[in-house]
Amino acid sequence: MIPAIGLLVGIVLGLILQPTVPVWLQPYLPIAVVAALDAVFGAFRSVLDGLFNDRIFVISFLSNVLVAAVIVFLGDQLGVGSQMSTGVVVVLTMRIFANVAAIRRHLLKA
Amino acid sequence: MGTHSAPRRARPARTSEEARFRLRRTLTPQRSGTQFVITVLFIALGFTLTAAVSGNANDSILANARQSDLVSLLDDLAQREARLQAENTRLETARETLLGGDEYSALNEAKRRADALGVLAGSEAIAGSGIEVSISGNLTASTLIDAVQELRDAGATAIQISDRDLAVRIVANTWFADSTSGITVSGTALQVPITISVIGDSSVLVPAIKIPGGLVDTVGSGGGEVKITESQNVDISAIVPLPNS
Repeated sequence: MIPAIGLLVGIVLGLILQPTVPVWLQPYLPIAVVAALDAVFGAFRSVLDGLFNDRIFVISFLSNVLVAAVIVFLGDQLGVGSQMSTGVVVVLTMRIFANVAAIRRHLLKA
Repeated sequence: MGTHSAPRRARPARTSEEARFRLRRTLTPQRSGTQFVITVLFIALGFTLTAAVSGNANDSILANARQSDLVSLLDDLAQREARLQAENTRLETARETLLGGDEYSALNEAKRRADALGVLAGSEAIAGSGIEVSISGNLTASTLIDAVQELRDAGATAIQISDRDLAVRIVANTWFADSTSGITVSGTALQVPITISVIGDSSVLVPAIKIPGGLVDTVGSGGGEVKITESQNVDISAIVPLPNS
């Protein structure tokens, strides 16, 4: 419950403060956000699976974000930055879909 | 949830009631270190989410454009700026002269413009460097129109078409028609051979009528002959009378 409120607080803070993203961070931020969303949905699913472990969640959240950013950074260095971010986004989106489907099966039995 | 121990194996909720129960149990507020860390992570996630969304909202059109498009866009803007700058400078100078100068300079400026417009309208005789093109053989009006267009595109200041004893100034509303023994230009019947006198930069004008499919080509294929003479003193004496206003 508290994390959900935290999410709302973060969104409200973002809306109020209107932060400008530094240029060097611009390619990585959207990927990091998608990676974090993937971790969140994964956690949601594992809650319903009875597998949730808060330590694992924190670590997977941070490592997801980090790995996604590193992959995009690597792609930038190799000159395939946009393709790499597309690939990362595709993979993460597929995982999110899979997780959401599992959550839906759990909650709605459909 | 900090206290509940996770089983090693997945034990999916058998009923949706059980799933809801697990969800509720997880969502009930608890006080623990990791709960705090998770909350901080979620705050950060919400914050970056809005930041990423609002950062993406503006200039998304330019961000999605391809590099070549951006380059041409930039080129366009640079060219436009240069053009506007040049015009600005010209107008500033004109304004300075008109404001600072006496009546004499204003009058001069007006005279200069009247002369320029007179040349364009064909109401002033003019002499200067240019070329003379003499054409013999049969010639159609459409060939002549094409030639005149070419010459205008090449920056001709004034054009006159003449035969042995008549001359016609070419202006904006000049018309051409075929006639039995030559060409009728604005009502004046000209006999072949004719001469086109053009004032302008001969290094541009000559290639303009020599281009493939241009005047020289067309007349040559019809059995005619075109002779081009560059001259420092092309005299254009035919004028178009100003309409009474």
